[in-house]
Amino acid sequence: MSSKNKLLTPLTLLSVVILLAAFAMVIFYAPVELTMGLVQKVFYFHMSAAWVGMLAFLVAAVAGGLYLGRQDLKYDRVSASSVEIGLVFTAIANFTGMIWAKPIWNTWWTWDPRLTTMTIMAFTYIAYLLLRRGMDDPSRRARFGAIYALVGFASVPLTFFSSRLLRTIHPTIFGGSSADMAMTGQMYQTMAVSLVAFTLLFAVLLWHRSRLAAGQAHLAELQAAQDEALFGGDSDE
Amino acid sequence: MKNWLKTALTLVWKDLVQEWRSRDMLTAMLSFAVLTLFIFNYAMELNPASRSEAAAGIIWVVIVFAGTLGLNRSFTAEQDQGCFDALVMAVPELSVIYVAKLITNLLVMLFLTVLVIPIYSLLYNQSLFMPMLWLVLLLGAWGYSATGTLIAGMTVQTRMRDLLLPILLFPLLMPVNMAVVKAAGAVLAGSALSGYASWVNLLLVYDIIMTVLSILVFEYVIQE
Repeated sequence: MSSKNKLLTPLTLLSVVILLAAFAMVIFYAPVELTMGLVQKVFYFHMSAAWVGMLAFLVAAVAGGLYLGRQDLKYDRVSASSVEIGLVFTAIANFTGMIWAKPIWNTWWTWDPRLTTMTIMAFTYIAYLLLRRGMDDPSRRARFGAIYALVGFASVPLTFFSSRLLRTIHPTIFGGSSADMAMTGQMYQTMAVSLVAFTLLFAVLLWHRSRLAAGQAHLAELQAAQDEALFGGDSDE
Repeated sequence: MKNWLKTALTLVWKDLVQEWRSRDMLTAMLSFAVLTLFIFNYAMELNPASRSEAAAGIIWVVIVFAGTLGLNRSFTAEQDQGCFDALVMAVPELSVIYVAKLITNLLVMLFLTVLVIPIYSLLYNQSLFMPMLWLVLLLGAWGYSATGTLIAGMTVQTRMRDLLLPILLFPLLMPVNMAVVKAAGAVLAGSALSGYASWVNLLLVYDIIMTVLSILVFEYVIQE
């Protein structure tokens, strides 16, 4: 197991500082939206959490592919850690979305494409974690995890596309033909800082979680070696 | 290539003969499908006005639920007495096993569909002999079997087995479910192909992506 990287502690502190800055900007700096009022402010963290949820899935799939190619358990640990963190952020995105949707859409839940896709993605994450829990052999767990991360990642855009064929009432904020929600400069700045804060937080959490997983793997190896030394390899008893 | 195809077809034949001799699975799947139809009838109070609209959804759900029983069994025959190792040694390439199991599962699904649709027609006095409906269900069954075969190959090697398959499979099947129900619903409502062509295209894209991806990664499912 590698010793702690010198960068990790400063990065962790930096992510806390930027997160607090984003919080302060959301509360004090960003203007109150004209029609939606205060509840619109949940958008900054909602959007950032949703972005991290998707980014985590991408990271899990890429790390899974790398594992299959190189058979190095390091990539498996990154992949599994990314899924765990991604699930939390996807849940945050869903719940903050509900807080916003109740006053604005007058309902907690609606069968909107992005909402549906995010939730299905959360279920894919849960399935991934359940799959891993069903196996003890680290190599098989890593292989199956990688396969499921890849297949899941391939199906998510199709889920999104198919639910978009149905209908959407989600505000299109960027790149749509018509902007449903016009943002001012201060809003853009707040959103940019929130995005940076959440992305950095994700990177730091991923790093910590992967280190923890590496530590756990190392511990398991040591325990197996100790069992062998004490019981002469008869570790089943 | 010729050898590859021949091995795949031999494996399909083996599985079909094995199933046909006992017919355990097919009987169970069919009974389950009909029972589910009955449950839907009472759960949804299917009256003549609402049934055309709901028919597409109900038929697909019945096929998907019954299909899960079959998928769960698709790798269990080889679990006994080291048959799986023999199977691995018998094929020129590991992906042959995937393709063979995919074809078997697809045939079982189609067999089930061919039985369920007339039963539905009979029970609800509604003719469902429309070529486009069959095409949509065929594409749906392909996508279902393509993803399902890959997932079943993994879950059979885990502790939770049957319990895990639907949990892993259903989130991945969302595009298929949506597309089949929407396209089949449009066919039943009598709309022209242009009205649901995008759903059929989506099904084709899903089927091809999942089949190719599964063939590529399947060697990692059985590599020991």
